[in-house]
Amino acid sequence: MSPTISRPSPIAWLVAPAVLLFVLFFVLPFGVMVVMSAYSGNPVTNSHAYLTVRHYERFILDDAGIYHDALWETLRIGLVTTIISLLIGYPLAHWMARMHSRLGHSLVLMAVIAPLLTGIVVRTFAWMTILEDKGVINTLLIQWGAIHKPLPLMYNEFGTVVALVHIYVPFMVLTLIGVIGRIDERLEQAARSLGAGRLRAFMEVTLPLSLPGILAGSLLVFALSISAYVTPSLMGGTNVLTLPMLIGQQIGTNFNPNFAGALGVVLLIVTLLIVIAYNKILSRLAGEPGMA
Amino acid sequence: MSASGVPLANKRPFDLGGAAYVALNVVLLAFLLLPILIVLIFAFNPTPYISFPPVGVSLRWFEKFFSGSDFMNALGLSLFVAACVLVLSILIGGACSLALARGNLPGRAFLTAFFMSPLMLPAILTGLALFQSYLMVGIGRPVWGLIMAHTLVAVPYVLRTTLAVLHNFDRRIEEAAAVLGASPARVFFEVTLPLIRPGVFAGGVFAFIVSFDQFPVSLFLVVPKGETLPVVLFNYMKFDLDGAIAAASMVSILLALGVVLALEWLIGLKAYVKL
Repeated sequence: MSPTISRPSPIAWLVAPAVLLFVLFFVLPFGVMVVMSAYSGNPVTNSHAYLTVRHYERFILDDAGIYHDALWETLRIGLVTTIISLLIGYPLAHWMARMHSRLGHSLVLMAVIAPLLTGIVVRTFAWMTILEDKGVINTLLIQWGAIHKPLPLMYNEFGTVVALVHIYVPFMVLTLIGVIGRIDERLEQAARSLGAGRLRAFMEVTLPLSLPGILAGSLLVFALSISAYVTPSLMGGTNVLTLPMLIGQQIGTNFNPNFAGALGVVLLIVTLLIVIAYNKILSRLAGEPGMA
Repeated sequence: MSASGVPLANKRPFDLGGAAYVALNVVLLAFLLLPILIVLIFAFNPTPYISFPPVGVSLRWFEKFFSGSDFMNALGLSLFVAACVLVLSILIGGACSLALARGNLPGRAFLTAFFMSPLMLPAILTGLALFQSYLMVGIGRPVWGLIMAHTLVAVPYVLRTTLAVLHNFDRRIEEAAAVLGASPARVFFEVTLPLIRPGVFAGGVFAFIVSFDQFPVSLFLVVPKGETLPVVLFNYMKFDLDGAIAAASMVSILLALGVVLALEWLIGLKAYVKL
C-alpha cells in the first residue's frame, strides 16, 4: 500500500477516454431509448411528436394478444435453458475443479472455451444442420429404421432451447469452477470418513456449499438467454416469438422505433432485476463461511 | 492438494460410480464439441443440401464463399471494423485499467462495475439504444458508429485481462525504479507498460473476436449492402442452408484462431496463458 491514498494521481486522467466513450455511446443512448419509448415519434426531427404512454399501453393491454405470450415465452425459454445448462454445466465444473492433473484440467478448459470462440451465428448453424428434417439426427434415425417421418426437432421451442443450452453452458461452467474449486475438498472427505456415502457426502456437503455459484451461474445464463435474438429466430422459425424478436420486427419490418423502445425498456427492467440479484450473490460469495 | 492426501482405503478394484462420473462428463464434452466438428464436415461435403453422412470432399463451398461479392464485402467490412475495434479498445481499455489500478480514483469499485456493465446488459438493447440515438441526431448508420458500438462492448474484455495483470504484479517494482531515480514517465514506459502488455494484448484478442463475431449489437446498426459477415450469414441462413455457410463458418473460426496465433507470435505464448 502506498502512503498517500486519498488524492487521485495524474494517472487518474487516463480514465477520461473511457468515460467519454461510455457517456456518449452507452449512458446517453440508453437514456434516448427511454425517451423514445415515451414519444409518439422522433422528438428531434418531428416537431409534432408528443409525449405519450401509448406504447406501454399497447404492451400492457395487449389487444393483439401476442405481447404477453412473447414475454412469457421469453421467460420460459430462459428458465428451461438455465435449468438444463445447470444440469450439464455442474458435472463438468465439478470434474474440472476436482481434477488434479494440470494437463487434464487445461484440456477440458480448452474444450469448454472453444465453443466461445465460434460466433453465435456459426453455432446456431451447426444445430440447424443437426436438428432439421434432413439433418444429422433425423437422417440417421430414418436410416436405422427407428422412425419413418422426421421428428420435429427444429422450428420449435425444443430446438431453440437445445441450441441456447449449447451456447451458454460455457458461461455456467466458468462461473461454477471457481466456486466449487474454493470449497475445501477435506470437508467432503471428513463426511465420508464419518460414514457418509459418496452421494450423501456430495448432497449434504458439496452441493449446499456451491449454492451461491449455482445461483450466480443460473442468473447469468438466464439474463443471456432472455436477450438472445439469433438462436430463437433461426431455430424457432415462425413458431417461436420472443421479446428480442419482437424488437427486431419493430425495427426491421414495422419501423416503429418508439414501440421498439418501450419493448426494450421492458426487457431492460427484467434484466436489471436479474443483474442486481446476481451482483448481490457475488458480493455475498466473498464472505461465505466454508469457503477457503 | 497432493495425491497422498487421498486415503488409499477409498480405492476399490473397479470403481463403477467413478467410471460413470467420467463417462457422463465425456458425453457432456462431446455435446459441446461435436456440433463444431459437424460444421467442418459440411464445409467439405459437396452435396447442394446439408446431407448426412457426407459423400465426399470438395472445395466448392469455399469457392462459392470466396467468389461471392456479398460474402467478400461483408468479410472485408468485418475485418476492417474488428481491426479498428482492436486498436481503439486496447488504447481506451488499457488507459482506463491503469487509471483504475494506479490512479487512486475515488469510487473505484463503482467505476469498475460501471465499465463492465455492457457485458451484463442485453447486447441487442445496446444496439437498439445506439440505433435510436443515431436516428435521433440524424446521422444515419455510419461505419464509425458501428465501430464505436463494438468498441463499447469490447473494452470490458481489455479491462478484465489488464486489471488481472495489474493486480498480480508487484507494485514495488515500480517503486524501486522510482527510488533509483527514474522519472514517472520513464517508470511508466520502461516498467509498467512492458509488464501489462500481455494483459492488454490478451484483451485485444478478445476484443477482435467479440467484434468479428458480433451480431446483436450490429443488427440495427448496419445498412443494406453494408452488412458485417455475421449479419450476412444470418440473412442467408433464413432462406438457404447450404455448405457456403459451413465454409464461411470455417473461415471465421480459422481467422479467429489466426489472430490468436499472430498475437502469440508477436508477444509470446506464455505471457497470457497464465492469466
